[in-house]
Amino acid sequence: MPSATLLGQALISGVLAGGMYGLLALGLSLSWGLLRLVNLSHFALAFLAAYLTYELGTNYHVAPWWSAMLIVPAMFAMGLAQHWIFDKFKVNELASLLITFSFAIILEVAIQLYWTADYRRYETHYSTMSFKVGPFYIPVLELILCLVAGVLAWGTWLWLRKTYVGKALRAAAEDADIAAAYGVDHKKLAYLLSGMGAAYAGIAGTFIALIATLAPAQIWTWLGVVFAVVIIGRLGNPLGALFAGMLIGASESIAMAVLSPAWAPVVSFSLLIVILLWDPEWL
Amino acid sequence: MLLEARNLHVGYGDATAVWDVSLDVAAGEIVSVIGPNGAGKTTLVNAIAGLLRSRSGELRFDGSDMTRVRSHDYCSHGIALVPEGRRLFVKMSVEENLELGCYLPAARAARAQSLERVYGLFPILRDKRAQLAGELSGGQQQMVAIGRALMAQPRIVLFDEPSLGLAPTIVDDMFDIIKRVRDDGAAVLLVEQNVLKALDIADRAYVLEQGRIVTSGLPADILKQPHIREAYLGV
Repeated sequence: MPSATLLGQALISGVLAGGMYGLLALGLSLSWGLLRLVNLSHFALAFLAAYLTYELGTNYHVAPWWSAMLIVPAMFAMGLAQHWIFDKFKVNELASLLITFSFAIILEVAIQLYWTADYRRYETHYSTMSFKVGPFYIPVLELILCLVAGVLAWGTWLWLRKTYVGKALRAAAEDADIAAAYGVDHKKLAYLLSGMGAAYAGIAGTFIALIATLAPAQIWTWLGVVFAVVIIGRLGNPLGALFAGMLIGASESIAMAVLSPAWAPVVSFSLLIVILLWDPEWL
Repeated sequence: MLLEARNLHVGYGDATAVWDVSLDVAAGEIVSVIGPNGAGKTTLVNAIAGLLRSRSGELRFDGSDMTRVRSHDYCSHGIALVPEGRRLFVKMSVEENLELGCYLPAARAARAQSLERVYGLFPILRDKRAQLAGELSGGQQQMVAIGRALMAQPRIVLFDEPSLGLAPTIVDDMFDIIKRVRDDGAAVLLVEQNVLKALDIADRAYVLEQGRIVTSGLPADILKQPHIREAYLGV
């Protein structure tokens, strides 16, 4: 049995790492829950953003927060373009899986053509910075990532609950015809939401560039975990996505510390199955 | 005339469900459309609400040609629907359902007064305003559906089978509410299977059978027709 300090460190690292799951799950959960579109290319968009951050950072020495100001709006536009295809071909839930899978592959190949299959690492002097609280190390970048994910999830949650546009989106997800009968232009709002989802992928991409090592095939690494996070957090619930991300991050990290690193991938889906069977009231 | 339908044909896919229907509703009127199950009543009312496109024919509301209006713009003309089966947003709270009724800017400006009006009509909804609409009883859900329509500050309210599935004591209340909606200034188009009640509160009525209007006129005259007495009243 590992020491209390090790367990505590594992818990902290896990929750912080889970912030990335939550951030990636956010956009996916919104489009799945509110538009019934499952966007597999979400991860590819995030990695495209990460590679662009890497490119601007290493070749042009643009700081990631400046490049994010360019990349995030560009991703929003890509989300709109993608939604135009969904809209034009009246894509349903199942077809969206297939179509966005192909988008993801196209993006993967495009990334590979330009940046090759080599591993890329965006080195910055702050990428490994951390500070100490008692016996525990807190990595700075991951902490910022969690704060950003928290602000986005909280803000999106409030937006969905407190604004007329948010309420209209939730209403249209339940009954689009009746929402339209009360004036909701669902089509227009769906574009907005698709754009937002892609913009969130862009924000996640900025952090991926700083935290992870990039390779085209990495697009698929987080797919399984983040799907579990989206489902545990309940579709269309941004705060749920964030908390589920942190829950899975912490569980994985503790499983790695207590059992062995090989156990980590088992955790997310075991948790998913347990929670689906248990179906607790508070979720 | 506030609402004028002329030779309206409406259908789904290849099937036409409503044939050649002409119907008028004047401001301040209660007009009932009665008919058996499957006669096309809901199809007709959904076409008037903009949920379905008519195949051919004319649909005018206060002089505007509604066949060219997009579905989500019908509400801004002053048409509000209380749909069959209520169709509330069951995962949203009672008050959020009502707020959806005043989604459009003009109605939104009057949100506070409209909410007061709805809570005045249905005091129970004020107590339950934070509860999920799906958790309410059938009668209370019908109140929310009517309240949602009133929040839009409509000039006509389309009621589609408002008494369906409600306890008999509540049914009487519903018809009282419909009268109050008219007395407060909106016209009412009421589609009902409860023939006696629907004719009782109507100024004029239409009988729809197999997608066609078979007779129309004053409720008292319709009640005198042997065919109606036999088919709907069993006498």
